[in-house]
Amino acid sequence: MNQGQDEAALGKTYDLALLRRLWVYIRPYRATFIVALVCLPLTSACLLAQPYLLKLGVDWYIEQGDAAGLARIGLLFAAALLGEFLFFYAQFQATMLVAQRSLADLRRDLFTHVQELPASFFERTPVGRLVTRLTTDVDAINEAFSAGTLTIFMDVLTLVGIVVIMLSIDFRLAVVTLALLPPLLLILNFFRTRTRVTYRTIRERLARINAFLQETLSGIMVVQVFAQEPKMFAEFEQRNRAHRDANHLSNMYEASLFSIVEALSIISIALMLWYGAGQVGQGLVALGTLVAFIEYLQKFFVPIREFSTKYTTMQTAMTAVERVFQLLDTPVTITSPPEAHRPHEVAGRIDFEHVWFAYNEEEWVLRDVSFSVAPGESIALVGATGAGKTTISKLLNRFYDIQRGRILVDGVDIREWDMHALRRRVGVVLQDVFLFVGDVATNLSLGRTDLTLDDLQHAAQHVNAERFIRELPNGYHEHLHERGANLSAGQRQLLSFARALAYDPAILILDEATSSVDPESEVLIQDALTKLMQNRTTLVIAHRFSTIQNADRIIVLHKGRLREVGTHQALIAQRGIYWRLYQLQYAHTAGLSPAHTDGPVLEEL
Amino acid sequence: MSRLWSYIFRYRYRYARGIACLVATATLAMSIPWLLKQAVEGIEHGRPVDEIASTVLLIIGIALLQGVVRSFSRFLIFNVGRDIEYQLRNDLFAHLQTLSLSYYQRQPIGDLMSRLVNDVTAVRLLLGLGIINILNTPLYYVYAMAAMLAMDPVLTLLAIAPYPFMFLVVRAMSRQLMERTLNVQAGLADLSSRVQESVSGMPVVRAYVREAWQNGVFGTLNERFKTENIALSRLRGLFPPLMKGISGTGLLVVLWYGGSQVIAGRLSLGDLVAFMGYLHLLAWPTMAMGWLISLYQRGKAAMQRLEVIWQTQPDIVDGEGNGASRSGRTVRGEIGFRHVDFAYPTEDWRPGSRVGNGHAPDGRTVLHDITFTVPAGKTVGIVGRMGAGKSTLVHLLPRLFDVTRGAITIDGRDIRLFSLAELRRCIGFVPQDPFLFSARIQDNIAFSQSEADGDDVRRTAALASVDGEIEDFPKGYDTVIGERGMTLSGGQKQRLTLSRALLADTPILVLDCALSSVDVTTEGKILQALRTSTTEKTVLIISHRVSAIRDADFIVVLDAGRIVETGTHAELVERGSMYTELFQDQALEEELAEL
Repeated sequence: MNQGQDEAALGKTYDLALLRRLWVYIRPYRATFIVALVCLPLTSACLLAQPYLLKLGVDWYIEQGDAAGLARIGLLFAAALLGEFLFFYAQFQATMLVAQRSLADLRRDLFTHVQELPASFFERTPVGRLVTRLTTDVDAINEAFSAGTLTIFMDVLTLVGIVVIMLSIDFRLAVVTLALLPPLLLILNFFRTRTRVTYRTIRERLARINAFLQETLSGIMVVQVFAQEPKMFAEFEQRNRAHRDANHLSNMYEASLFSIVEALSIISIALMLWYGAGQVGQGLVALGTLVAFIEYLQKFFVPIREFSTKYTTMQTAMTAVERVFQLLDTPVTITSPPEAHRPHEVAGRIDFEHVWFAYNEEEWVLRDVSFSVAPGESIALVGATGAGKTTISKLLNRFYDIQRGRILVDGVDIREWDMHALRRRVGVVLQDVFLFVGDVATNLSLGRTDLTLDDLQHAAQHVNAERFIRELPNGYHEHLHERGANLSAGQRQLLSFARALAYDPAILILDEATSSVDPESEVLIQDALTKLMQNRTTLVIAHRFSTIQNADRIIVLHKGRLREVGTHQALIAQRGIYWRLYQLQYAHTAGLSPAHTDGPVLEEL
Repeated sequence: MSRLWSYIFRYRYRYARGIACLVATATLAMSIPWLLKQAVEGIEHGRPVDEIASTVLLIIGIALLQGVVRSFSRFLIFNVGRDIEYQLRNDLFAHLQTLSLSYYQRQPIGDLMSRLVNDVTAVRLLLGLGIINILNTPLYYVYAMAAMLAMDPVLTLLAIAPYPFMFLVVRAMSRQLMERTLNVQAGLADLSSRVQESVSGMPVVRAYVREAWQNGVFGTLNERFKTENIALSRLRGLFPPLMKGISGTGLLVVLWYGGSQVIAGRLSLGDLVAFMGYLHLLAWPTMAMGWLISLYQRGKAAMQRLEVIWQTQPDIVDGEGNGASRSGRTVRGEIGFRHVDFAYPTEDWRPGSRVGNGHAPDGRTVLHDITFTVPAGKTVGIVGRMGAGKSTLVHLLPRLFDVTRGAITIDGRDIRLFSLAELRRCIGFVPQDPFLFSARIQDNIAFSQSEADGDDVRRTAALASVDGEIEDFPKGYDTVIGERGMTLSGGQKQRLTLSRALLADTPILVLDCALSSVDVTTEGKILQALRTSTTEKTVLIISHRVSAIRDADFIVVLDAGRIVETGTHAELVERGSMYTELFQDQALEEELAEL
């Protein structure tokens, strides 16, 4: 987590601008919110009335011996109690309804926004941080609402109310009673800054324990196989101890604060009685006033005890609000133009015209790359690691925008296309197959309801995935674990082929997996690849020799430049870069099925 | 629960001190309403101010003393709670490290995390806050009831009447509250994993324009989470006003009935003040008592879940060699498999766990009668189809699993006679899945030898052909893996894990498909470097690539858990059976390329 950012965020905790932005989310529910706001002072009023009624009861009726009058005051007191209960509950429920609804909206917007963010954003942002924004941070805001942070306003109202009422009942007695208020505020302030720091330390240290546990338990095999248990224990113990020590400190602050407030509340009552004793004797102060003051003081110290907790919650929430809006403010840089090109039919012609591209400014990954692919043609992209092959696959469907030149699909600049229309026609099979938690069918259709099970089966059959799916205990309804952990690498690849085929794109980009799989799966994959490439424009980032063999043309990239184009035979004859690459790599890893490889290779030799 | 008692017992003296302070605090706190009563009665009856002043001074003195004692009672007991939490976590972690891989295959990490984090927290709450309240509440009641009954038994009963009711309500509600809290927590966990997955799968979602689908899935969870949160707050919102309401009702009774008693001359105003004071003091402990029951239930359930972890005995333990360590003698590295059979120990083993990728899921025997010997310093290649048992075979060597029948020896000695640490320190293991820690590259390579210097690290990195790439990183060997999108390619990870194993400088090296993501050229270079620089190492290498094993001293071909043939590359090719079938085409291409 970004330490510097957190620090800076805490500095401007009460940024009104942030609250105004939060208001945008509360606004749709403002009627409910107003109910909450109205209930706040009403709760306070009912609460403040109680000690005063006590005073009236004592002075007017108990002292005077008026039992009937006492009963009337009793009824009023009961009404005030009921009022406090109802208004508080109404306030809390209204607040929570507003909070839950607006936070759900906020989460929805965050999620939608994250989905639109450019690919470059995800390269510099760890997944964990995004998860934190959408869950932990939004929940911290929620916590602020449900822990009754809004009641801080009520608390302030109550405190001010108590002071005002006490002063107006008896100014001098009130001044004596509240004499300890200034030192109390100083003490509160002292603890406020300290508890804030320790609280944050604790959270950080707990997070460190969790991260360490998660990692060590995931890598337990490595720990055991290298016999490093003592070392890992020492590291764990050190993190665990740091967390405990921070908690010890926090316990001390908490215990001291609690005890000091407790003691001060009693001392205030004592001081009042001391001064009051003389005043009552002289007839200057009514006994009921003393009783009422005791009650007011009791009520005065309740919010003060809770203040430091509420304050911390509120601060955490404000930091969260800031972070959340920061995420929402991350600009969506790749969008469709207003008058977007949205054709019904796509032939599948591709033109790269003097394309220059860099992920970071001026570190060119592609330099002046130009080539054309006719509809239905298959192209193998070949080059050493870092030549720019994978980059080309990310540009065609506008995961990134290029800096110079143009990329055209069917003669139209892809920046003029409707982005979604473009992506729907450009299918991508990535090297690292991603599978969602869910069943096989969902992973093939990706939630598209217009694809029937028949369509999916058809696609699976075509790319040799049908057999292994059938063999799963629940066939197409077999539940896949996280990242398809219950499938082999080869099976995952076949599934991703079937997925691509089910979408039947006009243009297919295939990033072949480099990792070796067992020879049997290899045969199935090779065969499936050949079928996928039939009758559609295909760009394959090829790692297998047989795939290169099957392509109509080969494009050789070297250090971001297009260096050679041609068929296998022609390029071998050229004795250039392709020939060297072939010597170095493909000759070793060449595919397995003789049907695909023997012929051309032998011919060529 | 007996384990819990043993932890409490360990801290008995500090608990005793804390409890002594707690009793003192209660005594002092409970004397205050009584003193207030005397002061008010003094004022009521117009006693001299000096007399009242001495009572007031006494109150102030007690308030100060009470403040000190109270803070001690709280942090003594809370700190013990934290100490036990610390101790529990340490003990659990140490225990978990002794459990074998088969345990981790059936135990999701998320579950264990929740045990070590949430369950330990639940136990800690019980031992800190729980203990304070368990002792405080009866203490407060005894004192308050004694004082109030002495003043007016009827008023006492009337005023206290709402309190048992409050206790019952809180108890009933806290059970519900816990249930709803768990629902909300589960909802949040669901949201987290959904976001996690969506972000990880973003390229696919985007490429197939399925954002709407993801929004829909997320939206459903989001709505459910909202509903659960509202249900929770409906209940949660009842607590504060209920507490205020019930202590307020007590006050109402004191005012109304107590007031009429004062009018009748049976009670003084001071008595009323005392009553009000006692009721205030009882409100919180009563409420806490209702809530304590769920705290206790949670703590107990948590402790039971932790107990399950403790009850799990490590099934792979040190051999007898532990005491009579042969550390004086160096291991040469001769490996022998003698009629080894192996079946996974549990029936609930599921495919796709972290080891291997194609074992029989039902605990059937996956290795049958495996016998072969690798002389010290020789290299053996292990090949076979997916699920043939190659990975399992090499996992047996460092005793990540124990053989079901037969024996494995190193230098002729059964590996079960070594201590685990001794055994594992002579094997450099490079697993299929290249696991690295989120630490500096330097620390990752020097994982087994923290004292290794930069030169050692660089040397082994060079041996694994990863030195150039590391030096290209802005921070070189200080680059922290996994930080700020710092990602390594599969091949880089594999080469780093190889460096890590090489640094350990073990007589035996195991490569379990360890270079599958490294391109063939580099792989060839690495293997060549290994051969020339470490002639004395015994190497077990699993690979799908013929180029990686063709130079092995001999090759073991596995099929369905049995050795089907052994021999050198040349011999096997000549014999022309399974091995040739597996690698025929690869070999052919290689030979063609060499023309």
